[in-house]
Amino acid sequence: MSEAAITGKAPEVIWKSKSWCIGFILFLSFLLMALFAAEIAPYDPWARFEPYQPPGSEHILGTNDMGHDILSELIYGSRASLLAGFGAAILATFIGTLVGLAAGYFKGMTDEALMGITDIFLMIPQIPLIIVLAAFLRPSLYLIAIIMGLLWWTSTARVVRSKTLQVREMGYVQAARSLGFSDPHIILTDVLPNILYVIMPKFLLAIASAMIAEASISFLGLGDITMKSWGMMINNAFNRGGFINGYWWWYLTPGLCITLFVLCVVLMGCAFEEQENETMRLQ
Amino acid sequence: MTDPSCSDRPILVVAGLTVGFETAAGRVMAAEDVSFCLRQSETLALVGETGCGKSVVASAIMKLLPRNASVRGHAEFAGRDLLARSEKEMAEIRGKEIAIVFQNPSLALNPIIRIAEQVAEPLQVHEHASRHKSIKTAEEMLHRLGLGSREAHMYPFQFSGGMNQRAMIATSMILTPKVIIADEPSHGLDAGLVDETMKEMMKIKEQIGSSLLLITHDLTLARRFSERMAVMYCGEIVETGKSEEIFNKPLHPYTRALLDCLPERGFHPIPGSSPSMINPPAGCKFRPRCPHAGERCMKRPRIVEGAEKDCDREVRCWLY
Amino acid sequence: MVALFIIISMNFIIPRAMPGDELTNLLGEDVTITDSTIVELRHEMGLDRTWTEQYLDYWWKILHLDLGYSFHLHSDVSRIIVSRIKWTLLLALPSILLGAMAGTVLGALAGWDGRNAGRKIQTLLLLAVYCTPPYFLCLLALYLFSFKLDLFPMKGFYITGSTLDIAHHVFLPILVMTLFSLSRNYMIMRGSVIQEKSSLYAAFARAKGLYNEEILFRHVFRNALLPIITLLAMDFGFMLSGALFIEIVFSMNGMGNLIYDSLLARDYPVLQGSFLIITIMAVSANMLADLLYSRFDPRVKW
Repeated sequence: MSEAAITGKAPEVIWKSKSWCIGFILFLSFLLMALFAAEIAPYDPWARFEPYQPPGSEHILGTNDMGHDILSELIYGSRASLLAGFGAAILATFIGTLVGLAAGYFKGMTDEALMGITDIFLMIPQIPLIIVLAAFLRPSLYLIAIIMGLLWWTSTARVVRSKTLQVREMGYVQAARSLGFSDPHIILTDVLPNILYVIMPKFLLAIASAMIAEASISFLGLGDITMKSWGMMINNAFNRGGFINGYWWWYLTPGLCITLFVLCVVLMGCAFEEQENETMRLQ
Repeated sequence: MTDPSCSDRPILVVAGLTVGFETAAGRVMAAEDVSFCLRQSETLALVGETGCGKSVVASAIMKLLPRNASVRGHAEFAGRDLLARSEKEMAEIRGKEIAIVFQNPSLALNPIIRIAEQVAEPLQVHEHASRHKSIKTAEEMLHRLGLGSREAHMYPFQFSGGMNQRAMIATSMILTPKVIIADEPSHGLDAGLVDETMKEMMKIKEQIGSSLLLITHDLTLARRFSERMAVMYCGEIVETGKSEEIFNKPLHPYTRALLDCLPERGFHPIPGSSPSMINPPAGCKFRPRCPHAGERCMKRPRIVEGAEKDCDREVRCWLY
Repeated sequence: MVALFIIISMNFIIPRAMPGDELTNLLGEDVTITDSTIVELRHEMGLDRTWTEQYLDYWWKILHLDLGYSFHLHSDVSRIIVSRIKWTLLLALPSILLGAMAGTVLGALAGWDGRNAGRKIQTLLLLAVYCTPPYFLCLLALYLFSFKLDLFPMKGFYITGSTLDIAHHVFLPILVMTLFSLSRNYMIMRGSVIQEKSSLYAAFARAKGLYNEEILFRHVFRNALLPIITLLAMDFGFMLSGALFIEIVFSMNGMGNLIYDSLLARDYPVLQGSFLIITIMAVSANMLADLLYSRFDPRVKW
């Protein structure tokens, strides 16, 4: 029963989880919003209209001090924020999985060396480093995503490693090794599918952290000005008088969007973890 | 439906205990119409194959089953039905009047708390004893079971299975309960150690005068240490009586087959396989594997008391 | 310890390896100086010596707690940092401690029995807090309580300097920080307790006669706490970065704001000095985490 649960049955059960369903629906909506921004947004976010307009019939969320329509900014902003989030998360998960697999599968010296490197990376204070690098280098959004990815792979690596260590000792892996299959082949066909359920929640949480981090950096004014991410919108609000003057529509909606997106990602991640726990319990 | 030999000094009377579980695969009848009684100071062994429902019966009596279990029947202890009591009332009885020793000692103990503290816990919780005094008492109890004061302050992960088992026994006996339920006390121990541990346990049991419900799949162990025995099959009790008598003259076909499995009787396996608990056979549950099966066995047999002129015996079989 | 060495060295290498003139990188872009002064400064800062000599000099200075001089703020970096760090500690320490205590206890209770509606709402609310970007919540809190309701002052640590005044000023920031710390601890503790409560030792504790919350607080709590201990120790190490955004939004003059201002002014000596301090704190916190964990989980010592 355990092998079956690991190798295939699990995905069907996840649809029963409420948190997964809500999270997934929200996730999809945001994704669609980002993909079809051009169709959904009422105006071009860079087009200028009458500034300082409060929410009204023509501009549902009003306009900011430059006369940009905030709703359009919001919809297009999803692209930037999601891009940063996904980019960083994909990179971090990729590196983390590689490191974790190698360390867990080959053990010995490889393991020691890789874990040593992981420990060093773990101790680097991430936000300050990103801030310092952003200040020195003034990077574009893509570079920010890459930097975040390069810093965050550690927690994925740890988790992948411990799961790999576990899976490695299982019967079918031992059998494959004794039959003479090459290591890369075993890793890809036997080990990897079973680790997916551990990687997924980490991936989702990485997206969440990356989004918040990108928003934070943009808030400090270090982000990519050319791309209007949600964080940049809040930064604008803070720096250009939106906050002091009480123009809540400038920053409330992007903030809510970030929160909601992170929420749905966290919900999905939690659903995965609950699922994993159930499988473990039944074993 | 009561045990005839229980007319004098019964301490725990289980009547018509039926336990069902709602699972994703269907409704599992783990125990059906189980009745037995435990007399004062005696040892009753509940024997059967793994998965026949013995542990479920024990947990049901103590109301320790998970929420998806439905329990019917009665378990009378000290004049009141345990199954009707609230969680709070049960919490006062557990550990103090009825104690249970779980099957997996190494997992049943909290890995990050010292042994002595865990053994002392019932004293602190039930009698509000001071930490110092309760630990002293715990150390004494552990000493009687062969664990010195150095070991008493170690952690469960440093102990072997046998040592953990003894720690659990100490925990269960520290408040001198009236009934002790031991679930597979020989689990995971080598033969020599089993003997030693059981002897220690019986010694202390005699001293404090409690009754023991010994749950085991090891027939030889049951024979050695119990006065009476109840044989379970597929959630039902099929035969009850004095242990020695059952060994000499087993009445139920299952009991006979079970004894035949023993090495000293030839190692004959029982034909067929254990029935499913979700779709059990109609009528007598042993019918598919019984050499004496007949037409009437399509109907569930009733219990015959005093079968074959043995007034202590009860059998659930149409042969009698 | 090796990590500490590496990171401090990195701090040395980065400004020198960065694009642009070393002197600018080390002094900051906001500084205007004449050409002759440049030569003098180069000599004083040792930039005309070999890298090895500079490196050794760097270490010497650090061990003497000389972190350089900020031309922008006209003061020794070390003195600036010391004066600011105590404010950050005032903000961060109570928040971490309160958030830890409240978060773990509430989270444990929620994980133990989350069936009633009140608990569910509580979990949902704290989940929302957990997902909100920190500074956004600060903005909202500031807007609501200071702007609209005028209950609390909007910026700074004090006006009159009296204890009550300081308390009045730090109340809101500490509240928000505590809320964040609480929400994270809550979510993790809740998950941990949910996992642990189905274990056999919890069942055995119940069989011994422990009733409900007794099982939780005598047994499950300790076991469920283990994964959080490491996190809490790390919190202390990353205290400064945690307080960063709160200080910026609430305009409080702690280390966080120092970093932000020096960032805008390109005051690199201060940045480097602050970064160094942060790193040292992070590494010490890591060591503290390991130490603390082994004290709580006896299995680890072996």
